[in-house]
Amino acid sequence: MKKNKYLLLASSLAVLVLLAGAAIQESFLKEWRRIQAQGRSDEGPIPVQLRQIVNTSLGVSDRCVSCHVSMGPGEQSVRGNPILVAHKPVVHDPAEFGCTVCHGGQGQATEKADAHGDVHFWPEPMLPKNASYAGCGRCHASLNVPGREQLASAQQAFERLDCLTCHRVDGRGGTVRPGGGGMEGPDLSRTGLKGYDSAWHEKHVQKSAAAPEGPWKVSFSPVSTTDQALLKTYLDTRIAAPQLVAAKSVFFSHGCLGCHKVSGVGGDDGPDLSRAGEKDPGQVSFKEVPGQPTMQNWMAEHFRAPASVVVGSQMPPANLSQQEIDQLTLFTLSLRRKELREIYLPKDRLRAVKFNEREFSSDGATLFGAFCAGCHGEDGQGRRLPGLVSFPSIANPDFLASVSDDFLAHTVQNGRPGRKMPGWLKDGGLRAEEIKAVVAHVRTLGNTSQQPDTRPARWITASAAQGKSIFESICSGCHGPQGKGGQGPALNNKVLLESATDSYLVETISRGRRGTAMASFLEPSPVRPALTRSDIEAVVAYLRSLLGGKS
Amino acid sequence: MNPASFHKDALREFVDNLKTVPRRVYETAFRGGPPTTDRTRSTFVFGNVFLHLHAVRTHRWSLRWTTTVGLGIMSVSAFLITLVTGVMLMFYYKPFPEAAYGSIKDIHFVVPTGRLIRNIHRWAANIMVVAVILHMARAFYTAAYRRPREYNWLIGLGLLVVTLGLSFTGYLLPWDQLAYWAITIGANIAQSPREITDALGITQYFDPGGLQRLLLLGSDTVGAEALIRFYLLHVMILPLALAALMGVHFWRIRKDGGMVRPADADERLNRVRNEETYPVFTEAPAKTYHLAAIVRGKTSVVGRGPENTVPSMPHLFYAELGVMMLTLLVCVALALVSDAPLKELANPSVPENPAKAPWYFLGLQEMVSFSAFMGGIGIPSIVLLGLGLIPYLDRETEGTGEWFGGPGGWRLVRFSMVIGFCTPILIESFAIRFGWLREWFPKIPQLIITCVNPATILTTVYALFSIWCIRRYQSARAGALGLFTCFLCGFLVLTVIGTYFRGPNWVFYLSPSDWPKH
Repeated sequence: MKKNKYLLLASSLAVLVLLAGAAIQESFLKEWRRIQAQGRSDEGPIPVQLRQIVNTSLGVSDRCVSCHVSMGPGEQSVRGNPILVAHKPVVHDPAEFGCTVCHGGQGQATEKADAHGDVHFWPEPMLPKNASYAGCGRCHASLNVPGREQLASAQQAFERLDCLTCHRVDGRGGTVRPGGGGMEGPDLSRTGLKGYDSAWHEKHVQKSAAAPEGPWKVSFSPVSTTDQALLKTYLDTRIAAPQLVAAKSVFFSHGCLGCHKVSGVGGDDGPDLSRAGEKDPGQVSFKEVPGQPTMQNWMAEHFRAPASVVVGSQMPPANLSQQEIDQLTLFTLSLRRKELREIYLPKDRLRAVKFNEREFSSDGATLFGAFCAGCHGEDGQGRRLPGLVSFPSIANPDFLASVSDDFLAHTVQNGRPGRKMPGWLKDGGLRAEEIKAVVAHVRTLGNTSQQPDTRPARWITASAAQGKSIFESICSGCHGPQGKGGQGPALNNKVLLESATDSYLVETISRGRRGTAMASFLEPSPVRPALTRSDIEAVVAYLRSLLGGKS
Repeated sequence: MNPASFHKDALREFVDNLKTVPRRVYETAFRGGPPTTDRTRSTFVFGNVFLHLHAVRTHRWSLRWTTTVGLGIMSVSAFLITLVTGVMLMFYYKPFPEAAYGSIKDIHFVVPTGRLIRNIHRWAANIMVVAVILHMARAFYTAAYRRPREYNWLIGLGLLVVTLGLSFTGYLLPWDQLAYWAITIGANIAQSPREITDALGITQYFDPGGLQRLLLLGSDTVGAEALIRFYLLHVMILPLALAALMGVHFWRIRKDGGMVRPADADERLNRVRNEETYPVFTEAPAKTYHLAAIVRGKTSVVGRGPENTVPSMPHLFYAELGVMMLTLLVCVALALVSDAPLKELANPSVPENPAKAPWYFLGLQEMVSFSAFMGGIGIPSIVLLGLGLIPYLDRETEGTGEWFGGPGGWRLVRFSMVIGFCTPILIESFAIRFGWLREWFPKIPQLIITCVNPATILTTVYALFSIWCIRRYQSARAGALGLFTCFLCGFLVLTVIGTYFRGPNWVFYLSPSDWPKH
């Protein structure tokens, strides 16, 4: 019966050994202990202890500084290990804001892989270093960002007008030149956040006039109003995050909002992207994604080949340069949200949430790029996407010549039920003045204004019966019986028939639509005779009857 | 008397009393004197509320490793380990969806030693399930369920069910994908009586399945209500039920005369002379004297000499503590090398495919894939009923306390294993290769499939084999040996198929690498 005694003795000892091993591992072999043991401050070795930054208002308790000691409050001088380097100077002092607010990751973990989120199924990994600016989106809403080309021309204006001579922006310019010339003007990197003197131009002119010589005389000359507007665009977007603004401007140039909503504005064909940056890598498939299974790689591959990454995705592949794909990825990663207490609510978010300011610039070109370009093409020439109906060219001069601004605005506002075009006023979240700006921009795209037309909206008196026989012999081949649509678009669409004037319909049939199968019906073709104006009026009368309206 | 001197005397006495407090505490704790001699140790065991669950003396047969293999103590030890680690986990666990997942992550990544504690909890829970099943097998094969232990066998079945329930309810708590979809399957099994009521067209009047599911989930879907229910079951109701049943189980062991042993155990032991045993009483008692007036019949001690018993303290306690530490050792060792799984946050819109129940239910799930009602409720009920009936049908005495004792013996068990393994493998192979009734006759009524499917056929074959055993050996024990062996083998085969060979949509795959890529 001794063997029971030995069993007890042996297994107890083994348990003790294992527990002691676990205790040693837990207490002595942790990486952060090793790093801290090597750390030396000005006063000598630093105490080895768990360090953390706690900010209850932000809901932060970050133990990152247990390894990154030098980034902690008052520890900038600690050295001794390659990881022990101070954070570069930033507006948001890590000692107050912690680390995870900007960088993501798991602040409460104390092992590298866990803290950085490089573990399987971890829902929120740390943002990669080259996408750090995406972290800004958690709290900030950069406002009034124009499309890529508008931003580029604003930046070109700023550089062309030599503002960088005196002013420093995003780390460039403002250097005092040796041998006279150049001076330190105020740093303009944060004008979009802090604001600036709107009367700057007059003051510059006065100072330049008063100055006897030097840079005020040499480097400044009055700026045209066009350039002033460009400079305003540029200054409004200086928020100390140039990469993020540039990325956002790319997002606003490829019509993404035509299908996706962000913060309540946009189409409904694709998923709402307001929090797309928080996507959980554990919930997506990395089967078709080359490289590391990170959200960054996933998104980049998803932009290149949406349907292979997300089964059943209808999103057209973005035919973009690597840089633009990286920018889109950066911006998408920045689409995240943190609930903030009042004291930490940044002004830009406040303006966006409480005062309904837009994150996109409200000029027609930017709006068209952000909302329309995805389907109608960046130049408004329409698009044909595999698996989808073809989207009409709205910059077509024949179309623009016969259509009124009211009709365009009405169509944009209410959409076209039964087709892909949504109503942008109610469902899309655009405002009436923004739609107006888009319509004006569409006019400039086709460079065509409407031919003057003084006739009322409904002036045709011809007989629908006659129109019916013409329609059936000539039009129904493309537009289908009773105008139900075939190769050509359906014409029995309620909203179309309500908003289109008689003149518009007659003009469209008479002129045709260049670049499409719709030819001018005043001219004969090999397959059909020419129609007369009265024939065309009869067809329009028939079209009107398709809804059971006046015959 | 001088009041001053009286005062002085009382004070001195007080000081003297104070000085002797430690000694008195010791004396009152060990009222029969320090447990250093067999006599005082016996008094100690007898007078201690926890230890008196043991008899004062233990038969040497019970202490042989081959008698019990320590499986009962292993089950209790695993339970105690889960109890301690479970209470530790409760300090951090938050039983609310999303928060639950976050708190498990915190336990895993942040809480000092939290990962180890959780791993130990998980391994101890699994070991408990294994130990309980093996303990039942041990009790069966040594025919320990026979008179007077019939009722304790029933209590043991109750403990098996509660153990499985405890393990299963713990499965949901992490609120990850694994948990969420396993519980969804569990809830659907609870709802499976609808298969019958639907087939009969009476669901709208009588819906026990829907009621069961509602009681389990507290809602139509797996959500916050289900989580709090499972939490309460896991940390309170089931542990209390288990503790109560365990108390009865242990108490009955004592009342039923300790571990089962063969009638000739004493002679067999006496073949080897052992100095550690010595007579306490000089002769076998004609009756036991306590409660003689109340207890009818003879108690189990009557007519037996105590020659082959040893004091429980320390001999039995060494064995028990040894097994307990061994269990702890295995748990800690496994916990150090293997982490408890934690998948991504539960997402009702992304079903796991295949969604698998915990491993010990995968045999059931395999049967459920043929018929939810039969696999999830019908056959398990039949099995439990059959197990419960064993001690009341087998009233023989041959082979009690012997491994594989009884007519047929080890030969029969070996033969039963062949039957037990081959039948499910053949039936499964047939069903996998050729499909089943639904594939051949798409319009066949569900009721027919409920009654005729691989699982019911397997059950029927086993039952027929058992009847053959009874006839062949003219013994109910032989029938039980055959049936129980088949049951264990079938459980094993189905569990292995469910675990390793079922892929998305519960399709058969030889290896997970053959699973279709999405």
